[in-house]
Amino acid sequence: MKIIQYHTLKEKLYFNELENGLKVFILPKPGFSKTYGLFSTRFGSIDSTFVPLNEKEMITVPDGVAHFLEHKMFETTKGDASELFARLSASTNAFTSSSRTAYLFNTTANEYECIELLLDFVQELYLTDESIEKEKGIINQEIGMYDDDPDWRCYFGSIQNLYKEHPVKIDIAGTVETVSEINKDILEKCYHTFYHPSNMMLFVVGNVDPQKAMDLIEKNQQSKSFRKEAPIIRKKINEPLEIDKKHEELQMSVLMPKLIVSLKINDILSDGKDKLKREMAMNLLLDILFSKSSALYEQWLNEGIINDSFSANFTQERDYSFLQIGGDTMYPNQLKEKIIDLLTHIQDYKISEDDFNRNKKKNIGILINMFNSPESIANVFSRYYFEDIMAFDLIDATYNMKIEDLYQLYPLFDEKMISSFVVKNEAL
Amino acid sequence: MKKTFQMNGYQLHLIQTKKFKNISLSLRLQNTLKKETSTLRALLTFVLIGSTKKYPTTKDIATYLDEMYGASLSNNILSKGASHIMQLYSSCVNENYLPAKESLLEKQIELINDLFYQPNVIDDAFDEKIVELKKKELKERLQAAKDDKFSYSLDQLFEYMGRDTTLGIKSTGYEEEIDKITAKDLYDYLKKCVHEDEKHLYVVGDVDESIVDIFRQKLSFPTHQYHYPSAYQFESHKDEVLEVFETQKITQAKLNMGFTINCDYTSDDHYAFTVFNAYFGGFSQSQLFQVVREQNSLCYYVSSSYDAFNGIMIVNCGIEDKDYAKARSLIMEELKKIQQGHVNLDVVQLAKGMLANSLRRSDDEAGSMIAIDYNRDITDKVETNEQYLNKLMNVTIEDIVRVANNIKLDTVYLLTGKERV
Repeated sequence: MKIIQYHTLKEKLYFNELENGLKVFILPKPGFSKTYGLFSTRFGSIDSTFVPLNEKEMITVPDGVAHFLEHKMFETTKGDASELFARLSASTNAFTSSSRTAYLFNTTANEYECIELLLDFVQELYLTDESIEKEKGIINQEIGMYDDDPDWRCYFGSIQNLYKEHPVKIDIAGTVETVSEINKDILEKCYHTFYHPSNMMLFVVGNVDPQKAMDLIEKNQQSKSFRKEAPIIRKKINEPLEIDKKHEELQMSVLMPKLIVSLKINDILSDGKDKLKREMAMNLLLDILFSKSSALYEQWLNEGIINDSFSANFTQERDYSFLQIGGDTMYPNQLKEKIIDLLTHIQDYKISEDDFNRNKKKNIGILINMFNSPESIANVFSRYYFEDIMAFDLIDATYNMKIEDLYQLYPLFDEKMISSFVVKNEAL
Repeated sequence: MKKTFQMNGYQLHLIQTKKFKNISLSLRLQNTLKKETSTLRALLTFVLIGSTKKYPTTKDIATYLDEMYGASLSNNILSKGASHIMQLYSSCVNENYLPAKESLLEKQIELINDLFYQPNVIDDAFDEKIVELKKKELKERLQAAKDDKFSYSLDQLFEYMGRDTTLGIKSTGYEEEIDKITAKDLYDYLKKCVHEDEKHLYVVGDVDESIVDIFRQKLSFPTHQYHYPSAYQFESHKDEVLEVFETQKITQAKLNMGFTINCDYTSDDHYAFTVFNAYFGGFSQSQLFQVVREQNSLCYYVSSSYDAFNGIMIVNCGIEDKDYAKARSLIMEELKKIQQGHVNLDVVQLAKGMLANSLRRSDDEAGSMIAIDYNRDITDKVETNEQYLNKLMNVTIEDIVRVANNIKLDTVYLLTGKERV
């Protein structure tokens, strides 16, 4: 077991890679009542075409299968996993994103039993045709709920605009049609391919003794056998450089129109350190340009084209990356023009020393706050981990940032890669 | 763990803990929830944090907060039964985690003082420009809230169920009232709040008790003794169940049901009702989740919630339009079973365990600690978390059946994608 000390944050992280390839991280939080465990696999909605374990041919699975599997994992031979956790006075949940699926528990009692239960229920698959059919009704209602959510539709629509081929454009839960195609065989293939310990990571944070927890996890894993796994072969996505749609509008029952301008970034980094640096630099740049203390924000606020829902975000995951800028606005067309104008003329934008230093301080404060709650630590750590980034390095990377690092981002702002998405009631 | 100090015009509650890397401040101003003042109060919380004399624009105040290592300053407005509460919330990084030791907390206290005593006021009125901006912000927030169909349908339920009563008053204000309010009205009202609102201030984090002296020096309010009622039992005078259907262009129907319960936060039955609610529809092993979702696949979410300050219970779920009658009757059947005494002891034990887990977890979240203490502080309830837990654990099946028999369906509100005949 390795121990890594983080002096700025005053945290001690324990790490071990087990024989079967499972990576385990434990962060003790003395004084806390709760313990939070997060067990994640590198399997999300973008993993739609791959070679199943012990097979030779590439298959394409129906949209929404990773999310469907997440729902079905809770059924075990011993009953519903939620109930098993409830018997330990713990609660459990799970979520699926584009690139990963994660299972969690949250407890203030029986911590070690909970860790074992988390491992055991995710490392066992129990499916029946009947229960799969039953789940479809539930998932269709989940899809319906997202369909009615204008923020989600705008967020997702602005991503769909950018990609022609990449499965990041696939709805995470799929559609009613694709969900109807999911069956036991497909779920099993996905499970055996992607739920191998070597494709997974466990993060435990809270009121635990690290040695005791690690011993227990090791013993638990040694008692199980997994087939040796060759590296997973996923289809290499040949995403064209250009965007799919320049502009798209969706009519929904809304009073406040919503706009997101998105920018596709084709220069994808592979090294974790480079990724970390780019992300911290981009967050700084977006804050300098668009946060509440920026000149632009003030100007647009006074013009009435934005309100405090306005935000700018950067995403980079596995093999895709983009920017999203926007919010609720009564004037989506005007705001769109202004954002696009700024993005296309970014080369002329001079970053002031004051703005840079101030936003650096702000970002450091925000990053420190991120390490406040066990849930937030586990989620942030796991998300970055799958991008080969150690979340505890975020603060130092921000400290070390220089203005030049921000200027180096300017070539990513390619005007041909800009798209916009609007949700509104009727033609304005 | 919590220490309370009587200050000039407010109670200071100090929750000292080394768990967090930041320090949280929550100042809550309480008065009676009234239709005439609800928009005024809602707008005031926005205007109040929008600027000060020293930082006269939104940009200035944001710049200042950035410099303070991203300290936050936010507002929200909530109701607690018959009370209307304006909350100012601020957090800042504990200096122990910063390279340069700067006391951010002291500066945050000064900023809060400035919000009240050095506001951006010209000729006895708030700065017009800020007021106009904040009016727009509030209007747009109210509109965006209506676009969230989950919260919109819940608001509609309260509106119909509580028409002409406290329950029917919107704590976030009324769109049509916003433009009637002037910059002078707002400043006059601020002065009134400074005098008449009941105030509680919470500080959570690794702070020394000497901070109390700093509060004494830097923040005072006029000392009047006001105390406002909050928790009450909603009473209905409807002869039969009110059923409301509304049609919008949506995919999923949202079913909301409101019940009267003859119980509230201050009742002896509060503990029994809390356990009943968890058992009935409060978590994933509850009757509603198991029957409506797991056995009948009718929905993704279904739950019951106990509003202890209005003394009501709400059930909501998202369903196919065609399943309305079925979902409603399943929900009512599950309630009836409990009323007739069919209660599964095993699931009751699970429900108690979940309540204990969620209460103990709140000890690790500054916001939850404040929320739980505040409920007690405004109702003069003296109770520790452990005492509360003990009372929950002692709730019997007979207690659950007894409180279930006080429950009566009052109003059903369905937001649907299809026209109903």
